[in-house]
Amino acid sequence: MTTTATTTTAQAGGQRSTPLLEVDGLTVRYETLRGDVRAIEDVSFAVGDGESLGLVGESGCGKSSVALSLLGLLPKNARVDAGEIRLQGQDLLRLPESQMRKHRWNDIAMVFQGAMNAWNPVYTIFTQIEEALTIHQRGSMTRSEARRRVGDLFELVGLDAQMMDRYPHELSGGMRQRAVIAMALSCDPKVIIADEPTTALDVIVQDRILRQLKRIQSELGMSIIYISHDIAVIAEVADRLAVMYAGGIAEIGASHTVFGHPRHPYSWSLLTSTPSIKGPLRTLSPLAGEPPDLHDPPAGCPFHPRCPMATDRCAAEKPPLELLSSDQASACWYADQVPDPREQEVLR
Amino acid sequence: MSPPLLKLYELQKHYPLDKGILRKPSRFVHAVDGIDLDIGRGESVGLVGESGCGKTTVGRMLTLLAEPTNGSVAIRSDQLPDHDLTDLDKQDVNRLRRDVQMIFQDPYESLNPRRTIIDAVTEPLRLQDLGSREEQQERGAEMLRLVGLAPPETFAYRFPHELSGGQRQRVAIARALVINPSFVVCDEPTSMLDVSIRISIMQLMRDLAERLGVSYLYITHDLGVARYMCDRIAVMYLGKVVEVARTEDLLANPRHPYTQALVSAVPVPDPTYERPVPDIKGGVSRPVNPAPTCRFIDRCPWADHTCESNDHPPLEQVTSDHRVACYHAR
Repeated sequence: MTTTATTTTAQAGGQRSTPLLEVDGLTVRYETLRGDVRAIEDVSFAVGDGESLGLVGESGCGKSSVALSLLGLLPKNARVDAGEIRLQGQDLLRLPESQMRKHRWNDIAMVFQGAMNAWNPVYTIFTQIEEALTIHQRGSMTRSEARRRVGDLFELVGLDAQMMDRYPHELSGGMRQRAVIAMALSCDPKVIIADEPTTALDVIVQDRILRQLKRIQSELGMSIIYISHDIAVIAEVADRLAVMYAGGIAEIGASHTVFGHPRHPYSWSLLTSTPSIKGPLRTLSPLAGEPPDLHDPPAGCPFHPRCPMATDRCAAEKPPLELLSSDQASACWYADQVPDPREQEVLR
Repeated sequence: MSPPLLKLYELQKHYPLDKGILRKPSRFVHAVDGIDLDIGRGESVGLVGESGCGKTTVGRMLTLLAEPTNGSVAIRSDQLPDHDLTDLDKQDVNRLRRDVQMIFQDPYESLNPRRTIIDAVTEPLRLQDLGSREEQQERGAEMLRLVGLAPPETFAYRFPHELSGGQRQRVAIARALVINPSFVVCDEPTSMLDVSIRISIMQLMRDLAERLGVSYLYITHDLGVARYMCDRIAVMYLGKVVEVARTEDLLANPRHPYTQALVSAVPVPDPTYERPVPDIKGGVSRPVNPAPTCRFIDRCPWADHTCESNDHPPLEQVTSDHRVACYHAR
């Protein structure tokens, strides 16, 4: 794909210039004893400099597999069938592991889901961050430089620098999670992938961490990919979002546009099934059925068995992701008929 | 107004920290530290707060899974004359279990993997010795239909691992309601489920409450879920109830500084909404032998001399249905 003046669906709602990170037609399957699972199917998106993209969807929709692909950390039974992941034009998928290691953490770092519980209990926080620094920065740092660096990072994420000499059990969950973010920032990455960075935390702590991530992002001009099942969190932190369903992108675009009026019935139902504490309480619309078994995905649109708008066409033909405006693309035959969420009846 | 179904009075649960063989324990976790709460018949009361605030311990005491250190729970039961839950013999406990049931958070762990679905659902009937085997099976099938696992024959003889999380939670609901309890403690019943499935479980629970006249104590950390599920909300902080009000009133006019911080910290699914910064200091105090002053004092933006020189403030009425425990609540 060459850069042209027209917007591609991958860029919907984003910058027009050549993006920092491009995922193009990524297709990944897992080989299992029960047969192959199509975890990711033809996923394309682009992340610009300093931009934040939210990947939202339910468990099993493929959002974490996308993250692992970006880092070259897919499990052994995964096969990349097609696609490219380009970081500043270079295809990461074709790189040998030795080359990929140079990009990992230095260019793309990740805050894993539940990472606050991944600290090794017998080493201090500093020792563990120092290890990451020496491995990825090729040992070019002295101990005192490393201490200064970690101290700065702790300040950046709102932790007292003295905390670096503590053991993980001496820190609260929120503090451990901040330390994880400090570690992800340690090698000045261009892109941070935050996979459910606040899911196990209480709301007040979540609020602090999300605000901090936003501040750090704008201060350092980093790009962030937020992965979450919680559409409210994504609404707050992401400039753009991609809604994933059954391994593919159902809808992608600028947050304001998609939240204002989603053009895919799945995004619509995520939005109308999230009770908000602000504004009128509207009728919540449950989705019938369960997400599909990706060992044997449905023919046509993967969402059609649960879709309230589905027709015969949806069962037969899979809708492509198409631009509706420069801000929004949807993979639905009836994108223009998706109702406005504000038409939901007000309960109180 | 008819008298409440359930009346919690100065309910306390302290766990000893340094229990020795000869030594008397001197340090206690004040998990629940004297709470008063009424729950009406058919009413759904939400108990919200951060992890470790004691909300689950309250639920466990109400279902007799934990014994209160102090205080009382009075329940108006059809099974027993007016009774204090903290003072029951074994037989009474058994009878009371017909009236009080619980739905747990994790549908993957709350069902025995080696028992069929119909077995799980009819177990309370067997334990209570209600009806013949045929009647029990019939009632079990009826419950499965009621919770949307229809036709019951296709689910009855399956095992939990063959069902999805949402379906398992439906089984747990069927099991809790099969003996017609008047009161069910729900401990985060939807927090493990995917969003699209969560709503159908919430709607099912509301629908059944209305139809069967059950009261819920709905324990959750999610104010959005509480808004949808509950008539009233009680906010807990470190073992104390700091505010109780009707749901919409509490969310629109929170008066306790902790509730205000909590309400403003909840993400709103609308990118155009600018959420205020929660006004609260960092850190969580541990409820180990807490000082008698207000539990929230270390994190409170309003704390002053009054708060330092007085005991934890009592829950006081501000409007007919709104009670707050704060010296400075406006």
